[in-house]
Amino acid sequence: MKSIKGESFEVRLMDDSSTVVFKGALRLTGMEDYAPILEMLKETLATECQAVVLDLRELDFLNSSGITMFSRFVIEARDRARVNLQFLASEAVPWQARSLKNLQRLMPAITVEVA
Amino acid sequence: MSIDSQIIGDFTPPSGRHDEYLILAFSPLISPLRDRWRNNGLSADFLGDYVITFLPKPSNAPNAETRQNEIKHAVAYVVNELLENAMKYHDNQVDIPISIHMELNSEQITVSVRNGISIAQAERYRTFIGDVLRGDPGDLLIQRLEEGAKCNLPNHSCLGLLTILNDYGAKLSWRFDPDAGHPAIQTVTTRAVLEL
Repeated sequence: MKSIKGESFEVRLMDDSSTVVFKGALRLTGMEDYAPILEMLKETLATECQAVVLDLRELDFLNSSGITMFSRFVIEARDRARVNLQFLASEAVPWQARSLKNLQRLMPAITVEVA
Repeated sequence: MSIDSQIIGDFTPPSGRHDEYLILAFSPLISPLRDRWRNNGLSADFLGDYVITFLPKPSNAPNAETRQNEIKHAVAYVVNELLENAMKYHDNQVDIPISIHMELNSEQITVSVRNGISIAQAERYRTFIGDVLRGDPGDLLIQRLEEGAKCNLPNHSCLGLLTILNDYGAKLSWRFDPDAGHPAIQTVTTRAVLEL
């Protein structure tokens, strides 16, 4: 398992290399600061025909630079065929209902499972 | 040459009807951007919690608590984005504080953030505002996300404002003022109104 930790967040790439778990509040200053997390996300695209799961259920806050980071990943996943992308979301975390729809507009094949 | 104040959008002056208000001010020259960034999150979370105190207690209606949680989060998101923009684009050559003013009444929550920017930056901001007012914020958001990915831009300016409009349904307005002590600087106040 790989992990990136900050004062208010943790991102883990699980051993299956296809699941990334986010926790806490992501409020980094811009794309430069988000680059290591974006690189970790892109590792899930290394295998063809992959089912990729982003578990956001405990990601309580995401700023607009974080939305930009996810959009870059989603666009890359969309532009490679055969990626099956799923978000795990939570009703208790309000930003997810508001902002994940933008990522679905970028890649309509994304599935969002709300717990 | 003197520059007049300019208002864009429905920048309604304080009505005097506000029940509660709170002002925070930061002196941007005191600490580096990275340290102040942490402060954005703290202030945003604080104002989100603060506003809930003054809303009616959750009723027994099934979604009352969820609604409070949504308002708290919406305030925290809007405050965080407006402060991030103010910190990013503030002109640090002059000692003008960055201030945030939040007021609420029974109908709406108003968040106004004021900072100083160069004349050139003010022009770029006005161009962006013009684009926003001419189009649909949701379409513009998607367009900018696509462009940013294609060109691998380091940061997509003003994306936060588009999410405030599109994802949170806030109304935005702006006021640009000349700064008496600094002819090369304007102050800009960006105001977001969330209906309750």
